[in-house]
Amino acid sequence: EKWAATLPKFPPTSLALQHFDATYSVQLGQLWPSVRIALLSERKYGALLNTFSHDAVLEDLQAKGCRDFITDTDTEALPCLDPESVVGVEGESNDVPVKKSNADRHLKISPKIKCLVFPRGDITRFKPARPDTQRLLGYYLLDAASVLPCLALDIQEGHIVLDLCAAPGGKAVALLQTQAIGFLCLNDTSVSRTLRLKKVLHSYIPKELLTSKNLRITSSDGTKWGEIENNTFDRVLVDVPCTTDRHSVMEDDNNIFSKNRIGERRRLPQLQLELLLAGIEAACPGGEIMYSTCTLSHIQNQSVVEQAIHLAQENHGIILEVVDLRPLTHMFRKTFHFAPNLHLGEMVIPHLGANFGPIYMCKLRRLT
Amino acid sequence: SLQSAGHISKVSHGSNKPVTELSLRTLVDMGFTEPQAEQLHEAVSTVRGASATKHALSTLTALFVLGYNTSSVQKLLLKCPELCTVKEPQLQQRISNLRKLGFVEGSLQRVVAHYPQILTVPVKKVNYVVLFLRERCLFTTMQITDILRDNPAIILEDLGQVEYKFQYVFFRMGIKQREMIKSRLFRFSLDEVRSRHCFLERRGLYQTPDKKGQTTTVNPKLDSILNVNQDTFLTAVAMASAEEYEIFQRLMAREWQEQEKEYDSIEAD
Ligand SMILES: C[S@@+](CC[C@H](N)C(=O)[O-])C[C@H]1O[C@@H](n2cnc3c(N)ncnc32)[C@H](O)[C@@H]1O
Repeated sequence: EKWAATLPKFPPTSLALQHFDATYSVQLGQLWPSVRIALLSERKYGALLNTFSHDAVLEDLQAKGCRDFITDTDTEALPCLDPESVVGVEGESNDVPVKKSNADRHLKISPKIKCLVFPRGDITRFKPARPDTQRLLGYYLLDAASVLPCLALDIQEGHIVLDLCAAPGGKAVALLQTQAIGFLCLNDTSVSRTLRLKKVLHSYIPKELLTSKNLRITSSDGTKWGEIENNTFDRVLVDVPCTTDRHSVMEDDNNIFSKNRIGERRRLPQLQLELLLAGIEAACPGGEIMYSTCTLSHIQNQSVVEQAIHLAQENHGIILEVVDLRPLTHMFRKTFHFAPNLHLGEMVIPHLGANFGPIYMCKLRRLT
Repeated sequence: SLQSAGHISKVSHGSNKPVTELSLRTLVDMGFTEPQAEQLHEAVSTVRGASATKHALSTLTALFVLGYNTSSVQKLLLKCPELCTVKEPQLQQRISNLRKLGFVEGSLQRVVAHYPQILTVPVKKVNYVVLFLRERCLFTTMQITDILRDNPAIILEDLGQVEYKFQYVFFRMGIKQREMIKSRLFRFSLDEVRSRHCFLERRGLYQTPDKKGQTTTVNPKLDSILNVNQDTFLTAVAMASAEEYEIFQRLMAREWQEQEKEYDSIEAD
């Protein structure tokens, strides 16, 4: 076997890595090598427990050494937070001061969402979930960090909720675990992925809860949502398409860094911005919007949020505040590595000790 | 050395029959202390086989002729009691073959003391390894002597594994023969080499050179990757924590195991 001969010249995975080396070494500095090796090594999963399943899955997984990261938290008090409630946002849109909410010291976390993980440094894998007698699967395997945006969205009894980019449905399954949602709209522009979303729902959620009284599934272009249904939702999840960093450095198939997708990749930040703006418009005044991605990219994360805050005010007269998520990151710092000192939002960065993420999240609240 | 050989020929007790049997007495007569002799006798007797120790005396003689003193001979035989089963002509042949391969006085003694097993290996096998290193890995004669001196155990290693390790370092790491010799590559197992290299590579600190031998960043020298303890490797070269490396090694072990299984199943198809 010859090593040199087998590699194609520029596979998308190496283009992605080159791109990340150039941008993230600047963005993350000293942290980049540790993040890089974690991205390139086997990731860890979390088992999102399906409370609708009848099997004793929790006990079973606990016996294998897993723990629910949501209850197994850091109880130590949060050291004094930055008392300033208004911080200027750096970047082009410096004219908009971003108001950071200060009233969220106490986190309300749904007691029904449970996500099991193997302890730090333990590389044991989960077995695929098995169906119970009702054909419902016991758990959904996902990046444990992707449960955080769902937790932080803080669903409360009777809430009307929109998941604008919902397929294949991991976060939707997490949201439904709260058993508190009044009505849930799930949308994804891709028809084939919407089909997968439906399959997932049927494997996890009892039929009684999947009726038109509780749920609507659509395949619209999310960027147009604001034109149809404005000022409606208590909670909106905007989990946008992004460069999916982990996938991009590991799999050549369906890779956004392949040569013929350059245009699509360049348009991502604009698409993300439009989706977030649509989500903001869809929320009701007082409602909350969670923007999330699985990339480390500043341009797809903070910059998009910054511009959305700016444009929401300019074009729609909507005033937003950024909700401080530090109580959340503090609570879960035993399980995840969070990027230090982000000026907007929070980000789980991969690390071999806890190889979850990347997950970026930023929560906004509509004041008007 | 002739003196000690002569000394042995005189050893015969009571009867005039030449001694072929290795007894405690014989050993003491040769100059070993009693505890040395006991230890040695016990070690040699554990070697299995009917004629196991038939050649013990000629082996001892040959070793004394090479210039070792009793305590070196003792150490050497404790390391490799099987040496006592080698017939004298073969032993002589093997020693002179090593001389032909470039082991001059001094270095010959050192390699045998360090790895006495080398004298249990047939000349044909040794020369096959030499040929392999010359033709498959393009090492020069002098480099091959260096390899045998630094890691004589290569003689008994699986050559498929040796070739894999060579190709890995040559193609994946882009390292030439000269640097391999300088860093004593063959002393390290494939897993050690691969672990450290992959760790650096995934951290972005090592690149496979392109066809022109170029990289965008400067790779650390193979010597500074291999010939340092783990702490130094982590702090000075990889700039990583011990936790990361420990977890990484477990992940890699599983990755490689699964790759091998995959190859095996492909071959079986
Ligand atoms: C990161 S994935 C969502 C993952 C999902 N929230 C989950 O947890 O399983 C992004 C999704 O956005 C969808 N998408 C892309 N463009 C869209 C658009 N214009 N409107 C709505 N959805 C879109 C993609 O089809 C993709 O399924």
